Amino acid sequence: MSLILLVLLAPLAGAVLILSLRKFSEVTALAAIGISFAAAYGLLIAGFGGATSQLVLPGLPEMPLRLLATPLTALFSALVATVATFVLLYAVGYMRTDPEKPRFFATMLLFVTAMQALVLSGDWITMLAGWELIGFSSYLLIGFWYRRTGVASAATRAFIYTRSADLGLYIGIFVLIGASGTTEISATLTTTGPAAVIAGLLLLIAAIGKSAQVPLQDWLQRAMAGPTPVSALLHSATLVAAGAILLIRVAPMLPNEALLATGLVGGVTAVVAGLTALGERDLKRMLAASTSSQYGLMLVAIGAGVPIAALLHLIAHAAIKSSLFLGAGVFQHDRESTDFDALAGSGRARPKIFAAFTISALALAGIPPLAGFFSKDAIIAATLEAPGVIWLLPLALAGTVLTGAYMARALGLLWRGNAGSPAGNVVWMGTGIGVLVALVVVLGAGFAPLEKLLEAELGASILAMALGLGAALIGLTLGWFVPMPRLLGPVRPWAQRGFVVAGGFDALLLRPAMMIAQGCEALERRLYNGVLKFGRLNLVLGVFTRKSDERGIDAAIFAFVARTVAAGRKVRLLQSGFIHKQMGLTIIGTGVIIALLLVAPLFS
Amino acid sequence: MIYELQIALAIGAALFGVGLYGALSQTNLVMIIMGVELILAAALVNLVAFWRYLHPEVIPAQMFVLIIMAVMAVEMAVGFGIAIARFRSRGSVEMEEARELKG
Repeated sequence: MSLILLVLLAPLAGAVLILSLRKFSEVTALAAIGISFAAAYGLLIAGFGGATSQLVLPGLPEMPLRLLATPLTALFSALVATVATFVLLYAVGYMRTDPEKPRFFATMLLFVTAMQALVLSGDWITMLAGWELIGFSSYLLIGFWYRRTGVASAATRAFIYTRSADLGLYIGIFVLIGASGTTEISATLTTTGPAAVIAGLLLLIAAIGKSAQVPLQDWLQRAMAGPTPVSALLHSATLVAAGAILLIRVAPMLPNEALLATGLVGGVTAVVAGLTALGERDLKRMLAASTSSQYGLMLVAIGAGVPIAALLHLIAHAAIKSSLFLGAGVFQHDRESTDFDALAGSGRARPKIFAAFTISALALAGIPPLAGFFSKDAIIAATLEAPGVIWLLPLALAGTVLTGAYMARALGLLWRGNAGSPAGNVVWMGTGIGVLVALVVVLGAGFAPLEKLLEAELGASILAMALGLGAALIGLTLGWFVPMPRLLGPVRPWAQRGFVVAGGFDALLLRPAMMIAQGCEALERRLYNGVLKFGRLNLVLGVFTRKSDERGIDAAIFAFVARTVAAGRKVRLLQSGFIHKQMGLTIIGTGVIIALLLVAPLFS
Repeated sequence: MIYELQIALAIGAALFGVGLYGALSQTNLVMIIMGVELILAAALVNLVAFWRYLHPEVIPAQMFVLIIMAVMAVEMAVGFGIAIARFRSRGSVEMEEARELKG
């Protein structure tokens, strides 16, 4: 069996098995993800050997479904498999007591299947299917605890936000297919001219929705309502990454206009989401905002024309952010909350977890020799050489400073305070975190071979390194020593409301929509009342008709009949049945007639 | 000649009177029918008398007489048919007893 198919089918089979058996869900899930993991790494190793495998499955007429394993897609696939494996390992501990474990693991596996289909897709149809499926399964996962207040609406919000942006993907894909006449992604990337600009901007919209970029950044923070492994998997390395992955794959096609737009969107998001993260009061929501901001930096790199830098940051961020989320999950378990006030000092209670968390945080800020340092450097180096350097460089640097600041603030909040006592043993969770943190540490060394593999080597730039490291250190210092209210100053209330512009979507879309709905409702009510009145009128008319029928026509006929019968009763008294009497009457009658005939001439 | 007409009319009137008396006074159905026959016969006498003494030249006037005679025959047949049927079923033709037609 083909390795590509194995990558996809193993988790799918696992999901089906778990849903039908409803038992041994942890074992099945780990086995399934393990097979998928091995297959994905098989693909990656084959990719290092320079092999590209493609699997063509029958699909639509003239549009076969293609699964493609180039070095790039194999890398994505391996990344997804890695994060998914360790998150699931962690989830075994995290979900130990949840009664609905089978549903959780099955949905997670379904999600992994969809994500692998997305990253390995060789044509737009498969890509679209994977894209929709991750949207759907993320909806299921975010809403996993659907009985808790606000969870269902958070899931719905995430779904609707990403869905509305998906429209961009649909139209963009149609434009590309229409322009090039094929669904094969690599073939459509040769599109040029206006079609490329339009398609590029439309795909950017789709990426904005999925990767939670400005102005659609709000849903990601609300999506933290799901279980922490879900946050770690979906909102750090896979679901949110789909937007960036899409842009990285189509980057060769993007014309300058689309690149500039991408860079600006990313830069603005990096700053805005960074400020939001800095002002956040909740650990998981802070991490979510930070995710938005990091994906903003990736979009900056794509916009600068160096998608490989975005790719490196994507990989680094996947490991870093999932380990951060998993660490946050441990603290959440201890304190039954993700609020910073409740979590104060929880780091002291678990020094090992906190150390892992700290390493990841420093990596995210961009401290050497951790993974984040190299990828962030690559981004800053990319902006230095980009055509839009005046825009992109300050935004990227500001994003880096903010990253350092909010991570340092989070570390401070977790460290300062009363230690308390940890609740229970966290072997499974600790294992997951440990592996991911190890990745965070060593991943930086793996970047050079990756660059070679993808044939896009990045030159080292001392200036970029200095700038990046300086920004990170400034950010960390500020975040650790300066209290957040002073740091944010007048921007603080804005940041804490997630930079709601002009009332945000509530005011701009929701309220008008509600007003239209209410108008429609009033109109409908009026129409309904009108119809009701008309109906009542008809009813009155009907009653009147019935009464007139009963009392008028029927009564007249019955009265006539009754009178006739009565008259007949009187007349029949004449009928004696006595023949002489009849004859007598006849004679009298004849006599009367004759008398009249005789008398009549006298009066004429 | 006018006397002769008057005599004939007087005979017709007498016949009519006898017939009327008979029809009204008798209780036997056969006798009542005979009374009715006499009344018709009186009408016949009058018709013949009027024709003979006033318009003897109008021969077709005799047609009335012939029609009335036919009617008398038919009436008698029907009347006696009824009488026989009643006698067979009830054993009597006394009209005092026949009150079934009372309304």
